[in-house]
Amino acid sequence: MPLVAAVAVPHTPQLLVRPDTEDRDLVLRVHAAYARVKQRLTDARVEAICLVGGDHIEGFFLNAVPAFAVYTGAKVSGQFGRYAYSFDVHEPLARAIVEQGIEREFDLCYSQDVRLDYAFYVPLHFTTPDRSIPIVPLYVNVYLPPQPTPRRCYAWGTALRAILDARPERVALMASGGLSHYPGTDRYASPDFDWDRQLLASLAEGRGAETARLTGEELDKAGNVELRTWITVLGAVGDARADVVCYEPSWHHGNAVVTWPVASR
Amino acid sequence: MTDAHYFFPPASAYPLNRCLFGLKSDNAFRARYLADAQAAMDEVGVPADARAALRDFDRDRLVALGAHPYLVFMAKLRVGMDTQPAAFEYF
Repeated sequence: MPLVAAVAVPHTPQLLVRPDTEDRDLVLRVHAAYARVKQRLTDARVEAICLVGGDHIEGFFLNAVPAFAVYTGAKVSGQFGRYAYSFDVHEPLARAIVEQGIEREFDLCYSQDVRLDYAFYVPLHFTTPDRSIPIVPLYVNVYLPPQPTPRRCYAWGTALRAILDARPERVALMASGGLSHYPGTDRYASPDFDWDRQLLASLAEGRGAETARLTGEELDKAGNVELRTWITVLGAVGDARADVVCYEPSWHHGNAVVTWPVASR
Repeated sequence: MTDAHYFFPPASAYPLNRCLFGLKSDNAFRARYLADAQAAMDEVGVPADARAALRDFDRDRLVALGAHPYLVFMAKLRVGMDTQPAAFEYF
């Protein structure tokens, strides 16, 4: 069964826990976009969700900083204030990804013992059709330099697609991240929305492969270090034209939701 | 890329980043910090010159000392969620 859905979503925690600095109507519009993703995953009858997320120094601290990692434990849990999440992991799929990824010469890290980051559970909170659907957390290092290059992320996504297309499960691939934001820096209040809009226009035209030619420096400058998760999924969807479900720029964050058609190759 | 927003974490800042990580991700450590910040900072070896900046969440100073900007941001938010829970709407 080939990949049955490919999407990219934001995960900013203010969408889950809203301080009064956040425009409530904007938050609800992003929730509505999440609901459209949820419907898409429901219609696709997904049996597993592979999330490509950037760990926010939660599962991996400075004890180990993998460029790419796969969670291969039986369950994975995370907690944020009053929210506690636990998801089953699709073990055969996770194992296949790490084994076949290594065979394809991606020197992956794997773990059976990391805490789930909100890059994973915030999107799942709003988009999983059923919290019993097993997941596979796929990590891309976005916040701890030196991060993997966009070209390497794209290549990993291409390899992932080949691995997923050979699997029996109906799999959704979800990038979690972006767009422009600069948490903790002096640019927090001035994201690069023009950069985001140009990116989304190019994705809508099916020019996603161009993201592989971006540099790490360009991503950092544009507040898009997390775009590495999108670029990974772009490696999996190739030239498919993105459907931009929403772009909602807040005072600190370009919230974007896109989906891609995924015909069998 | 010396002027990158997110930079290579200097080894010298490990204790400070360890403390910020604890405030962000370890509920028990955050509780100990809120009860007795000096004792919690002792626990992870935060150097003397970072303590006032940490207490005030002085981002510029902390980042200049090698703190990861994201850790500063989220540690402050998580402390706020514990100390002012009514200031948030929960979906």
